Amino acid sequence: MDPECSQLLPALCSVLADPRQPVADDTCLEKLLDWFKTITEAGSSLLLLQENPCLLGLLCHMLKPQDLSPRVLAFSLRLAGMLAAQEDCFQYLQQGELLPRLFGEAGPLGGAAWTAPSVRSGWIQGLRSLARHPSALCFLADCGAVDTIFSLQGDSSLFVASAAGQLLVHILGLSLQGPAEGHPGLQTGDWPVCAQKIVSHIEESLRSAATPQITQALNVLTTTFGHCHSPWTQVLWVRLSPLVACLLEKDPVPAAHSLVDLLLSVARSPVLSSSSCGLWETLAQTLSHLSPTQAGPLALGILKLQECPQALRAQAFAVLLQPLTCVLEATAQAPGLLDSLDGTGGASVTVDTLLPSKAACVGLLCRTLAHLELLQPLPQRPSPWPQAPLLGATVTILRLCSGSATPTSDAGGHLCAFLVGCVRVQRAALDFLGTLSQGTGPRELVTQVFAVLLEYLTSPDSSPTVLKKAFQATFRWLQSSPETPGCSDLDPHAQLFLRELLPVLPKRLCSPCWEVRDSGLEFLTQMIGRWGGQAGFRRALLASEVPELTEQLLRDPESYVRASAVAATGQLSSQGLRVTPASPEHPGGQQKSLLAELLHILSTDSEGFPRRAVMHVFTQWLRDGHADVAGDTERFVARVLQVASQDLDWEVRAQGLELALVFLEQTLGRPSSHCPYAVTPPVAAPPSPLAQALRPLCRVQLFEFAFRALFDCDRPVAQKSCDLLLFLRAQTASYSGPQGSGNVPEVASVEAALQRWQAGDQGQPLGYLEPEVVVAVLRSMDLEGLRGALAESSDRVEKSPQSLLQDMLATVGALGEDEADCY
Amino acid sequence: MPEIRVTPLGAGQDVGRSCILVSIGGKNVMLDCGMHMGFNDDRRFPDFSYITRNGRLTDFLDCVIISHFHLDHCGALPYFSEMVGYDGPIYMTHPTQAICPILLEDYRKIAVDKKGEANFFTSQMIKDCMKKVVAVHLHQTVQVDDELEIKAYYAGHVLGAAMFQIKVGSESVVYTGDYNMTPDRHLGAAWIDKCRPNLLITESTYATTIRDSKRCRERDFLKKVHEAVERGGKVLIPVFALGRAQELCILLETFWERMNLKAPIYFSTGLTEKANHYYKLFITWTNQKIRKTFVQRNMFEFKHIKAFDRAFADNPGPMVVFATPGMLHAGQSLQIFRKWAGNEKNMVIMPGYCVQGTVGHKILSGQRKLEMEGRQVLEVKMQVEYMSFSAHADAKGIMQLVGQAEPESVLLVHGEAKKMEFLKQKIEQEFRVSCYMPANGETVTLPTSPSIPVGISLGLLKREMAQGLLPDAKKPRLLHGTLIMKDSNFRLVSSEQALKELGLAEHQLRFTCRVHLHDPRKEQETAMRVYSHLKSVLKEHCVQHLPDGSVTVESILIQAAAHSEDPGTKVLLVSWTYQDEELGSHLTSLLKKGLPQAAS
Repeated sequence: MDPECSQLLPALCSVLADPRQPVADDTCLEKLLDWFKTITEAGSSLLLLQENPCLLGLLCHMLKPQDLSPRVLAFSLRLAGMLAAQEDCFQYLQQGELLPRLFGEAGPLGGAAWTAPSVRSGWIQGLRSLARHPSALCFLADCGAVDTIFSLQGDSSLFVASAAGQLLVHILGLSLQGPAEGHPGLQTGDWPVCAQKIVSHIEESLRSAATPQITQALNVLTTTFGHCHSPWTQVLWVRLSPLVACLLEKDPVPAAHSLVDLLLSVARSPVLSSSSCGLWETLAQTLSHLSPTQAGPLALGILKLQECPQALRAQAFAVLLQPLTCVLEATAQAPGLLDSLDGTGGASVTVDTLLPSKAACVGLLCRTLAHLELLQPLPQRPSPWPQAPLLGATVTILRLCSGSATPTSDAGGHLCAFLVGCVRVQRAALDFLGTLSQGTGPRELVTQVFAVLLEYLTSPDSSPTVLKKAFQATFRWLQSSPETPGCSDLDPHAQLFLRELLPVLPKRLCSPCWEVRDSGLEFLTQMIGRWGGQAGFRRALLASEVPELTEQLLRDPESYVRASAVAATGQLSSQGLRVTPASPEHPGGQQKSLLAELLHILSTDSEGFPRRAVMHVFTQWLRDGHADVAGDTERFVARVLQVASQDLDWEVRAQGLELALVFLEQTLGRPSSHCPYAVTPPVAAPPSPLAQALRPLCRVQLFEFAFRALFDCDRPVAQKSCDLLLFLRAQTASYSGPQGSGNVPEVASVEAALQRWQAGDQGQPLGYLEPEVVVAVLRSMDLEGLRGALAESSDRVEKSPQSLLQDMLATVGALGEDEADCY
Repeated sequence: MPEIRVTPLGAGQDVGRSCILVSIGGKNVMLDCGMHMGFNDDRRFPDFSYITRNGRLTDFLDCVIISHFHLDHCGALPYFSEMVGYDGPIYMTHPTQAICPILLEDYRKIAVDKKGEANFFTSQMIKDCMKKVVAVHLHQTVQVDDELEIKAYYAGHVLGAAMFQIKVGSESVVYTGDYNMTPDRHLGAAWIDKCRPNLLITESTYATTIRDSKRCRERDFLKKVHEAVERGGKVLIPVFALGRAQELCILLETFWERMNLKAPIYFSTGLTEKANHYYKLFITWTNQKIRKTFVQRNMFEFKHIKAFDRAFADNPGPMVVFATPGMLHAGQSLQIFRKWAGNEKNMVIMPGYCVQGTVGHKILSGQRKLEMEGRQVLEVKMQVEYMSFSAHADAKGIMQLVGQAEPESVLLVHGEAKKMEFLKQKIEQEFRVSCYMPANGETVTLPTSPSIPVGISLGLLKREMAQGLLPDAKKPRLLHGTLIMKDSNFRLVSSEQALKELGLAEHQLRFTCRVHLHDPRKEQETAMRVYSHLKSVLKEHCVQHLPDGSVTVESILIQAAAHSEDPGTKVLLVSWTYQDEELGSHLTSLLKKGLPQAAS
């Protein structure tokens, strides 16, 4: 601890001990504990206590009967635990009987303060920190803490109850660390008393008729098996598994969700899954006992396991597929599709039993689709993967939701009534449909997929969230369609689809919902990025109104849409897909050039998103040598930098530096390293003399921009500028020619200006700088030092412990009764 | 037994980050999704693991409702939806939907810029999150699904702030968010109808305060600004982009106009336009005065308040600057503060709350030597003032709202435990309802009485009306009929209709009773005596003597027979239908008393 903090600590401890002094901000005590944690983890807690006796004084003060603030009491309990985590400090505190008085019956446990959940939580967290060594275990046994923890498992506060369960797991693990690990064969009867007590408690809870107690026991076991893979866990499971299996005999199965978690945790444990204690049989039994909704997560968990008996996997997959089988059955799908789903072994279930009501139907279908979506990309997914029936079922569900399916049976009619217009199922089905694009399917089904997607994209009933997902799924399916052999164009089917899709897009771009316009533009940008160079796509796009509408959206009232329109227009222009001003379709012709339009957005748009999007487009254009830029690159860069330097949004200024870096690389040659800021000389230095190479940079006033950015009040801008200048300095080192022996007075005047900027003055612009002056200034600057300073977070001072202590002390007295304010 | 369960994950006995889980009628709703500005790690967000342990978030939660755009109510939303993975609907009002992303974006930039945090939500995430929002109008009943509906009410506080009623069947909960029961210069007062919810969840920031007159505070503020400007000083007012800033701008603008002051007032560039845009767009959300005068003069188009340029800070002479952010922890406000702090003629007015660690917090707690970066010490000589302009209901306002909504019980959130305790007692005493104040993580469970709607057949209703009694909600009346439960529907129909609908045959159920009478006469004579007796006693009923010798009173049949063993005793066999049970019992007891002696 630094001396300043040591000096402040006694005053703070006396403030904390004084119940009349309110603690200003509840985050302060948390931050104080963070600081103590750092200190105790780095050094001796005993030394900390000895050097700061005020801490001990504070803890002792908590023992006096008084009207203590629950927050300070909770803080003290946590601090005591933290300090006692080191055994020598624990012994030291034990000498004064401090710990039993804090954590035992005599402490807050028996007092009025115990009613505050924060105190109970502090008590648990204190013990959690303390329980690190064998002496702590004896202490826990002596002060009867374990019984209190048992009761806290059922605490009214979720946080306390959950922490109590975790503490039990921790104590169990600690008590078995020595004895049972050394002797894996040791039976529970030979385990330490503390561990035996916990095991008995778990057993008792599992036998209980009350579901909350069973849940607590199951949760403790789940955490234990999830975190600890020592051999003793196997002994524990062998002893408890019959009790767990007994739960399955009850109807309904109690605490099903926790039971599933436990069984999966056991199955995932390398120690337990390899043992033969009937785990797979229990899992199989559980799958058949649980309701379809409860069994879904278990089935998914089983299918995610790396190793598992094939029969169990088949059973699990059948459970997962059951709802979709039901859908196919009810809608009388082609028998082939049904067989491949149904053939996985499960008994045929009817819609009436599996999907009896709207709520049950919607809930189960959403879960099933989400589970299958998670399973699809995994290498351990079932093989063969029933791609075709899954596609068929998903398309059917989407049709039932949109009302375009015509059910032929009563069951189908019921399903239709449940699902029609259901946005939740639509979202889940579209997500899954998108994932299914990773696999192939029969041509006929793929056609159906495109048809249903088109239906959703066209339908006026599609909600904005559904449309967004429909766009995403469409892009994924287009991306996965096979390319025409010999050329990289879309296959004829996809082409056909695209011809139907493009007339839909303008409607979406004119939607009154900004969300829809934006999703449409995002989709368009992705499409151009992927197929912008392909003839078929280009023809279709140019024949549509899309490019024109996209450009109109540059003036959309919603800034998100303007930003997306900027990105899309930038892409269109890069690919030569922009509607030309001189085209016969646009008489009048005097259309503003896109560059001018984007520059206008950059200088005038009141929102940051469109301005940032413009910078992104400009950088990309510069990188790609876009025609509008290549004509007069220097003029372009100079104009953009000038506007960007004035921007209030630091991200725009930072992107200005990104653009400057691209220009710099193009002018001086690319750095050899992958990292753009790596300070390494280029492999082959261009032959031109340095001054000549730097002149274009000087002409675009890149240095003025970079030097100003170096002292920008927003740290990322300053950092980026520093990296850019360091890169430049390294580059210039390899050039021939003048080595910075510029005009001395001019160098001095630039340095003076830089100092003024650093001090916060805006000052006059530098004007044109000669390359020699730039080189001289660059060499004289301590850029490395600046980079070091910038690497530290700028609120480092405010975040320091000294600042925290000062703030807490300063608040005393300054805080009036009603001044604890909020927004 | 159906119940309503409420668990605060934030705002339970604190004013940190509001996030309250409500389970009602089997539906789960999250009310607000706030962030704690005082932390800069994951502790700033509510601990959502307590929801995710129930399975997939989107399956568990039916919807999220955001009351208003302040970050302690919506700051965790992009994290929750894009990083934790909630994919369901989010409801908020139109102004909240428009302003929320601006504040989230501002905060993101500060977190990334100032604190260098990498693991934070991105701009794209904010946008994707906002695309999940369903905007609602005031008093519009929005059907989340077939059973769950929500409705927004005006809450004052900030532009677009709303209270929400959440209803499933006959059960309902009202969540106030932050609200203000007194109108201010640009917003109106909160209002709710007498919706009598099962539970009212109300904020209680000023649970024990009766706030001083707003006029006094405003006068004080103007006086201080005026004095500083008069002595040639510069006044810095750090604010958040939207919210209280506009209230203060209107205040200063009006004052400048009235006093004909010349010192310039500036507002961070871009923000005035932005604010102006939103206030114009959502003019219906402002107070009556602003709405009325809007056609002649838009109150948000300021004559004296101009856009600020960084270079203006160095201009000589007095000026007033509104700069962001509001806690002096980064950006323009901090930059200007550093420039002006050293001059005792200058003044900084903090109009709201500052979290620990910020420069705002330090100067408000009286610290005058601040260590800045690079071990530089900044000596604060400028005058530091704190004036709270946050618009929350005070104790009186909270009581007023409880009275207005007439809830069955009240639950306090967004306040300090000690103050809540006081208000809890007051509410319980005055309104005779239960009041709860759970801490974060604690669950309050309220049993509710189920109300099951039953349809009544027109025939039955007409029959009842024919008796001349019109239905009256205040006078419950007994109605006989048959309850049919079919396809989750309940219907009350007449027995005849029920038999017909269900295709059942009618069975007559008759009660019988034997009454022994000492009467040596012949059976026919005994029956005649019974007839005469009943005819004289039951004048209002139809008593008949049938040719077969039996007697009837309505549906009741009485037959006389000789006793098999005792010829001096006659047995009266009485039988009746269940409809006439009352009369049957009365008649039996009458006969048991014996027949009057015949007049000789």
